[in-house]
Amino acid sequence: MKKTKLGEFEELVLLTVATLQQDAYGVEIKRELEDRLKEKLSVGSIQSALKRMEEKGFLTSQFGQATQKRGGKRKRIYTATPYAHRVLADLKEIRAGLWNSMPKLAPVLKTI
Amino acid sequence: MSQTQPYSPPKWPLRFLRFFVKKEYLEEIEGDMEEIFYEYAEYASVKKARRMYTWEIIKLFRPILIKNLEILQQLNQLDMFKNYFKVSMRGLVKNPLNSFINVFGLSMSIGFAVFSYAFFMWTISVDQFHVHKNEVHMVTAFAERDGTMQQHGKTPQPLGDMLKHDFAQINKVCRVEDKNVVMKYEDRVHHERVRFTDPEFLEMLTFPLKWGTIGSLKDLNSIILSEDMSIKYFGEENPIGQSMVMIFEKGRSKEFKITGVAKEFPKSRTITFNFLINFENLKSATPNYNFDDWTASINSTLIQIKPSDLESIKKGMEKYKTIQNKAVGEDWAISSFGFEPLATLHIASEDIREGISRSSKTNYTSIRFMVVISFFLLVLACFNYINIAIATAAKRLKEIGIRKSIGATRRKVIVQFLSENVVITFFALIVGLILGYTFFIPGFEFLWSVNLDFRVWDPSLWMFLAAILLFTSIASGIYPSIYISRFQVVNILKGSMKFGQRNPVTKFFLGFQLAMSCIFITCSVLFKMNNTYMTERPWGYNQAETLYANVPDGAAYEELNLLMAQQPDVISISGSQHHVGKSHVPTVLHFPERELEVDRLAVDPAYFETMGIDLIDGRTFNHAEGSDRQAVVVNEQLAKSMAWTSALGEQFRIDTIQYEVIGVVKDFHSYSFTKQIRPVIFTIADKKEYKYLSLKVKSGSEISVQESLQKNWAKLFPEIPFEGGHQEDVWGFYFQTLKIYDLVWKVLAFIAVSLATLGLYGLVKLNVEGRTKEFSIRKVLGAGVKSIAGCIINQYMILFIVAIAIGSPLGFFFGRWLIEGNAYHMPVTLYPAGIAVVIIIIVLLTTISTQVWKVLKTNPVNGLKSE
Repeated sequence: MKKTKLGEFEELVLLTVATLQQDAYGVEIKRELEDRLKEKLSVGSIQSALKRMEEKGFLTSQFGQATQKRGGKRKRIYTATPYAHRVLADLKEIRAGLWNSMPKLAPVLKTI
Repeated sequence: MSQTQPYSPPKWPLRFLRFFVKKEYLEEIEGDMEEIFYEYAEYASVKKARRMYTWEIIKLFRPILIKNLEILQQLNQLDMFKNYFKVSMRGLVKNPLNSFINVFGLSMSIGFAVFSYAFFMWTISVDQFHVHKNEVHMVTAFAERDGTMQQHGKTPQPLGDMLKHDFAQINKVCRVEDKNVVMKYEDRVHHERVRFTDPEFLEMLTFPLKWGTIGSLKDLNSIILSEDMSIKYFGEENPIGQSMVMIFEKGRSKEFKITGVAKEFPKSRTITFNFLINFENLKSATPNYNFDDWTASINSTLIQIKPSDLESIKKGMEKYKTIQNKAVGEDWAISSFGFEPLATLHIASEDIREGISRSSKTNYTSIRFMVVISFFLLVLACFNYINIAIATAAKRLKEIGIRKSIGATRRKVIVQFLSENVVITFFALIVGLILGYTFFIPGFEFLWSVNLDFRVWDPSLWMFLAAILLFTSIASGIYPSIYISRFQVVNILKGSMKFGQRNPVTKFFLGFQLAMSCIFITCSVLFKMNNTYMTERPWGYNQAETLYANVPDGAAYEELNLLMAQQPDVISISGSQHHVGKSHVPTVLHFPERELEVDRLAVDPAYFETMGIDLIDGRTFNHAEGSDRQAVVVNEQLAKSMAWTSALGEQFRIDTIQYEVIGVVKDFHSYSFTKQIRPVIFTIADKKEYKYLSLKVKSGSEISVQESLQKNWAKLFPEIPFEGGHQEDVWGFYFQTLKIYDLVWKVLAFIAVSLATLGLYGLVKLNVEGRTKEFSIRKVLGAGVKSIAGCIINQYMILFIVAIAIGSPLGFFFGRWLIEGNAYHMPVTLYPAGIAVVIIIIVLLTTISTQVWKVLKTNPVNGLKSE
């Protein structure tokens, strides 16, 4: 777990990237996350999370097409690496394991 | 979305974005930002979109997105820096003279800066150690005297007690009164000043005890000592439980038990004590002491309140004003009461008369001077460095050329030079710290006998040093490095590059240094001359052949008088209640049309002769007992203040008694020369009240008479230590101060001149070395001393003239301004400025002539063979 060094916000961004597939570029990721989290996010926070994860090897990226809306600038499409998928799966498993063990404790707590 | 948008994102945030974002991310982020902008502009206003856009870009300023500085990207950085370090160390060793000039100059200035820092910290920390510094207030009284508002630290005696009862907001009150007494422990007997105070004193002011308890002061028989006093009487032992006898006056004494010893006081403070005893002991000290007497005042009343309650208390003070003014009458009526918080009391004390605190205003003035001076010294040293760096660069052209051709960018060369600079400055910093620690600070402490409480391991000192390191290395390194790195490789390697000799900036720096030294020398000469003048200034009375002694009372005076009158060397003896330079009473004279506050001295008829105060009009007092009770002798200043043509026969009233002027004496100084002469009156003293015995002795016999005076004293009053001495010593400290100022200016002038001289020396030497061939050819062709010297001096002639023409008048006006700030000073003429110019010219010529001499001595053949 420690080796992966994936922050909570980073994890969310990574999941969004994995969800959006071909559409995973800066603005779209921001929009998607804002919808799901129901809060405003800054471009800076998204960008720094993306760049950091790229450095850590969770993401790769290549230029996509340019649109007029972007003043002719190309998008950068992010793709989650197999390693990222593995880490995400690991995290999910760890969480699930924890959730599973929770109800076993609950009755004990009640009796106290 | 059409191509032609009517609006677009704001320009400057975009420029900022392009400036900081890594190149590889720019296109993506710029595009994202633009997309978001237009989207937002569609459903909100354009204005809002722009604001959002700007804000978002500012938030993009994150480490991970910011361009790396190019120099940091390099992999071989560490090795490069190692190389720079090695090269600069080699440079330092190879040119010991240049290194010495740089390191010495910088370390001198840094040493002075460290000292300024210590002094600054010491000054601003005054009294700040008191825990309740914002709550404890000193009660002061404002009163109008002679048309000006004065603030007095003395307060009516019953005030403290009444305040405590009348105001619920006042938490604590303490009254403070001081008396001179004789303290006795076994055979140790000394004159001391004790502080009568309430037990709250030690709760309100933070003076922790080393031994004993604060509360013990409640006991009337307890006494608390300062650490100094404990050591003075008991050495290092714990004196708790010991008894000391306090002799208030002849035949009145009390035994006290020591119940506490204070810890060493913080070094920076204005309020202290030697001995503390309970305030109620005033009853034992003075017969019939009346605590409810509004006419009597005590040295200070302190109260502790919440600062927010101050206004309400101020309003309530009217009542006391009425009581007070009814009691003392119109002479000493007050206008209002004031409160000074302890935290700023040391600043307010400048205007408070007779307060228990001390003013630190002069320290604040000195700080300003010192900051300016240390800044200038640093600048001077930096200039030296810059000049020498530029001049020596000629020798390093090849190195720079090679570095550049194997791939060093201009920025790299700049970094190299700056890092060399940091190395030198770092050395200078260490030497400077040592200089400050072992020379400037101890020197200052020794001169002024204070303790600056300077600690090397103070974190803020290291922050200050780091700031100095940064400032100095950048200020001195940035210009040479930019200048040197500018040169084209091809030109350097071809050898067609000539520079460093005719750089206008170098000339400007050197000129500035010379002008500064000129200012310092002029001030120093002015001060020196003024001091000599002041030392010789007459005091207006005979100080040299006069001795004095304090006596307890009239009876003691008579006994001592009898013994001393037998001495053949004594010319005249007189007794007085007050004494010139030692004591007087402020008194208000009432004239029909106005009032005047004067200093009053009660003396006997022989006093004028004994002290050598010259009579210029009328007569002095009659020797017949009981006569001239309502006669006064005044000084010239009083006659001048009243605009009398002839003072004789003029009348005025003091309290209810009418007095008449019978004589006028010449003005004399009863304060040091820093204070204006004040109006003075003499009245006849009551024989019982004599407190001083003064003697006029034959010239040359002062020491022997003083010895016999002390011997007779010891015989008559073995219980009381002798107090008195030579009248000249009364203001000894003043002359001491003058000498210190003189020394300080000399040190500053020396530093400034040696910095400039070193700089000049370095420049001339490099210049001469660069022209070895030229001089050799000149010599071969028959050039003599004159032509060679002319060759070298000509270059600097105009510079010298300009520097002196600017520095000398500036120094003169600055010095005159400083000296004219004193009440009495010498008439300022141009003469000292002339001396300063001569000194600086001699220094300059000597410096240059060493190099001329060297050129003359060398064999031209060697010069021609070189290279």
